[in-house]
Amino acid sequence: MSQDSFFRSTSFRLLAWYAAVFGASVAVLFFVVYWIALAAIDEQLTDSIERETQVLVDLYRSRGLGPVARAIQLRAVDLRSPRRYYLLQDAKGERIAGNLPAMAPVEGDLILPVSHLYPDRNTKLENPADAYPVVAQGQRLDSGEFLLVGESRFRAVKAREAILRALGWGIAITVLLSGIGGAALRSGFLRRIEEINRTTRSIMEGDLSQRMPTRGSGDEMDRLAVNLNAMLARIQALMESLKRVSDDIAHDLRTPLSRLRHRLEVARGKAVPDGDPVIEQSISELDAILETFSALLRIAQIESGARLAAFSDVNLAQIVSTVSDAYMPVVEDRDQKLVVMLEPVPLIQGDRELLIQMVANLIENSIRHCPAGVVITIELRQEAGAPVLCLSDTGPGIPGPERDKVFRRFYRLETSRTTPGSGLGLALVKAVAELHVASIDLSDNGPGLRVTVHFHEAAAGARKSTPHA
Amino acid sequence: MKILLVEDDAQTSAYVANGLREHGHVVDQADNGRDGLLRASGGGYDVLVIDRMLPGMDGLAIVKTIRAAGTRSPALLLTTLGGVNDRVEGLEAGADDYLTKPFAFAELLARVNALARRPPMTEETTVLRVGDLEMNRLKRTVTRGSVLIELQPQEFRLLEYLMRNAGQVVTRTMLLENVWEFHFDPRTSVVETHISRLRAKIDRDFDEELIHTVRGSGYSLGVSR
Repeated sequence: MSQDSFFRSTSFRLLAWYAAVFGASVAVLFFVVYWIALAAIDEQLTDSIERETQVLVDLYRSRGLGPVARAIQLRAVDLRSPRRYYLLQDAKGERIAGNLPAMAPVEGDLILPVSHLYPDRNTKLENPADAYPVVAQGQRLDSGEFLLVGESRFRAVKAREAILRALGWGIAITVLLSGIGGAALRSGFLRRIEEINRTTRSIMEGDLSQRMPTRGSGDEMDRLAVNLNAMLARIQALMESLKRVSDDIAHDLRTPLSRLRHRLEVARGKAVPDGDPVIEQSISELDAILETFSALLRIAQIESGARLAAFSDVNLAQIVSTVSDAYMPVVEDRDQKLVVMLEPVPLIQGDRELLIQMVANLIENSIRHCPAGVVITIELRQEAGAPVLCLSDTGPGIPGPERDKVFRRFYRLETSRTTPGSGLGLALVKAVAELHVASIDLSDNGPGLRVTVHFHEAAAGARKSTPHA
Repeated sequence: MKILLVEDDAQTSAYVANGLREHGHVVDQADNGRDGLLRASGGGYDVLVIDRMLPGMDGLAIVKTIRAAGTRSPALLLTTLGGVNDRVEGLEAGADDYLTKPFAFAELLARVNALARRPPMTEETTVLRVGDLEMNRLKRTVTRGSVLIELQPQEFRLLEYLMRNAGQVVTRTMLLENVWEFHFDPRTSVVETHISRLRAKIDRDFDEELIHTVRGSGYSLGVSR
């Protein structure tokens, strides 16, 4: 599936980049939020301990040790959150009050592990907060006593957990939303690309009146569609004026040319019995002009796709056989040789009349540009279920750089300037091949020229369903 | 022979009409589609020559209308230069032949004569005879006098076409279209070489020549007058 690979290469890569950049910025944002929140919680904890220490120190200074010890006794049994820990020791290190065991006095901030709080492992925890380490601040009092105020990290840990959980949900929802958004974006984008592709395909099949769908939303895709439509309108206008010019030429010139030819015929009738060579030459020159003219108009009409309506089942083998039979005596008279190799091939959808002309032009091209003694081989075979027509000769061939140019109208090789011809034969071959969705290429036959036409049975068949007459 | 010519260009019409009259035909002229349709519907013509593009009514529409009304007179459509679909459309509409403008008068004359003589022999005719030349289409044999003549398949088809139109001028274009299905002018002498091969087989060893070249027109098969 070409659409899938297209999707993988462009649309999906775009989406992956979008998701990666979006995800990364969300992760950075979350990390910053987490970091700031954590710092704020720790600061709050320290502040709270400092304030409590200050209250107790102030009480000590104004009222003495007794009230402080009583206050500590009261607060230590308060099980309400936040869970606080106290220790008041005298200068000798004996515990006076508090809910922590006596310890060596340490001034400043410290963290007490759970094992320090409960040296006896069997102590039953009164509060869930007791299972967490304690952030504490120690301070020596004026008479050598030691005061320690601590608070469980329980709240900080719980808050951190809550933040992490919230961030986790946040990331999950972000990923989900970006996935859904991306998929919606992707399918919308892809649908519009596909709409444009579909329209482009039917335009390439010859229906220039088709336009890209627009939604009036003014987004990039819409602007692209509007611009493409403007371009198509311009192309269509140009094509129509070109077609009108060709039709006008065809219509307006045929009458004067008819009259001219008739007058020359009348003049011939009145001329000397053996015919006036000037009149005879004029008539044949006029016929050559008409033929070139006719070939040009024919190519233009083939290219416009107007012949698709006349498509039907065509047997290429029969066409190649009839046309080569027609040219067999011509080839023999020129001391050339025509070898025909036919394999049975599947029927294709095509225009019989034009395919006959294509094969004839190819054979004539070889006949006319090759000297006596060459072997011209026309071969029809089957490759991957589709017919392949191959015509090769052992003549002078076409130099590599010139090969693409010979399909152009009126292009003639320097070496064949002297050969009579309109320079339109191969241009018509190419137009017919393209009408049949066949690819045509020229290669070196070493020596000589090899023309290979690859038909596409399925493609030719598919075009039948969309006739544009 | 009575011929109706529907052509809007007065000069072309006069030239063609005069030419046909010189060859002993009776010609009625119409210069627009409606007039042409009226006259054609009246019937009584041996051949209708109708231009494809006409003021008032398209040549195709005339042919369609008269065919629907049951008029059987053979019709020759004159089509535009390069009009690739004209032939198919014309034949589908009920025309019997077509000729691309501009044309040689000899070409028109040959085709008008061929149309008027149609059908001299039906498709079912198995034995065609011209002088002492005899073709059996079933056995696919050709004899002249008592001599059996060997022909290639395309020579057979060429001779068959000439024999069906014996006594008539057959142009190069008519042969290309009917024998090889070539609806274009080949740049090599396809017709000439085939005719010369056929002549070598049919005429060379016999006293009387059957295939005649008509200068400026084409070929004719028949016993000399």
